[in-house]
Amino acid sequence: MIWLAEENLRRPVPDRLLYGVLLIKAVALALRDVPELNAVWRGSEPVRSEAVHVGVAISLRGGGLVAPALHDTAGTSLGDLMRGFRDLVQRARSGGLRSSELSDPTITVTSLGEQGVESAFGIIFPPQVAIVGFGKIVERPWVVDGQVVARPVVTATLSADHRVSDGHRGGLFLAAVDRLLQEPGRL
Amino acid sequence: MTREEIRAAVLRTLGEIAPEADPATLAPDVPFRDQLDLDSMDHLNFVIALHAALQVEIPEADYPRLATLDACVDYLAAAAPGRH
Repeated sequence: MIWLAEENLRRPVPDRLLYGVLLIKAVALALRDVPELNAVWRGSEPVRSEAVHVGVAISLRGGGLVAPALHDTAGTSLGDLMRGFRDLVQRARSGGLRSSELSDPTITVTSLGEQGVESAFGIIFPPQVAIVGFGKIVERPWVVDGQVVARPVVTATLSADHRVSDGHRGGLFLAAVDRLLQEPGRL
Repeated sequence: MTREEIRAAVLRTLGEIAPEADPATLAPDVPFRDQLDLDSMDHLNFVIALHAALQVEIPEADYPRLATLDACVDYLAAAAPGRH
């Protein structure tokens, strides 16, 4: 959070980042460690995708939710991802999404922290094989170098199709997300 | 720009971001988020639009000072160059 505040101080107002874009990028990069989660079912076969197109869950005014893709999420800078994210939300809420954006996601991220939810357990969007959920940031007592300090903490969850992965691999994936979020400057 | 003009600019901006916002029923001293379905993206777009409309730099640390209509007008009237 400190990194984000300092980064946004350097950025012009229209180029500021939201915390959510860090989560999206961290998920995309963590898939390098566990690539089987970046896949879609084609018939009876799960097919891994070379590119990472993270679907982002967006609530619509008046109800409903869509999860269009941010294309090439892993290979896009945070600034460009943020611009793409803003554009995607604006078009989702004005009915301007392209059909390919709704069919292209290879994994989905949902964040319910703003609704006050601490843990979000998502339901996989077929034909994808995984969804990552984030809750709200809360301050928790944390032990750092033997001292208890207050730290902002967010709970990440993974729902994954057991036909393509397992709990061990899922744990490695979440550990990679955690590691990446500890070093946001490298996202 | 007068406080009334700033107020009108804030309401116009809010209407663009949350079309369901009704200026006639918006309580000026109650947080926007308690009255409207706004998320962090909406709030960022609100700040960007105010910045563009009023040429006011709004540091992220000051976002809490934009929570209500009255607070917005107070903040922007003080921050806008050569105003009121």
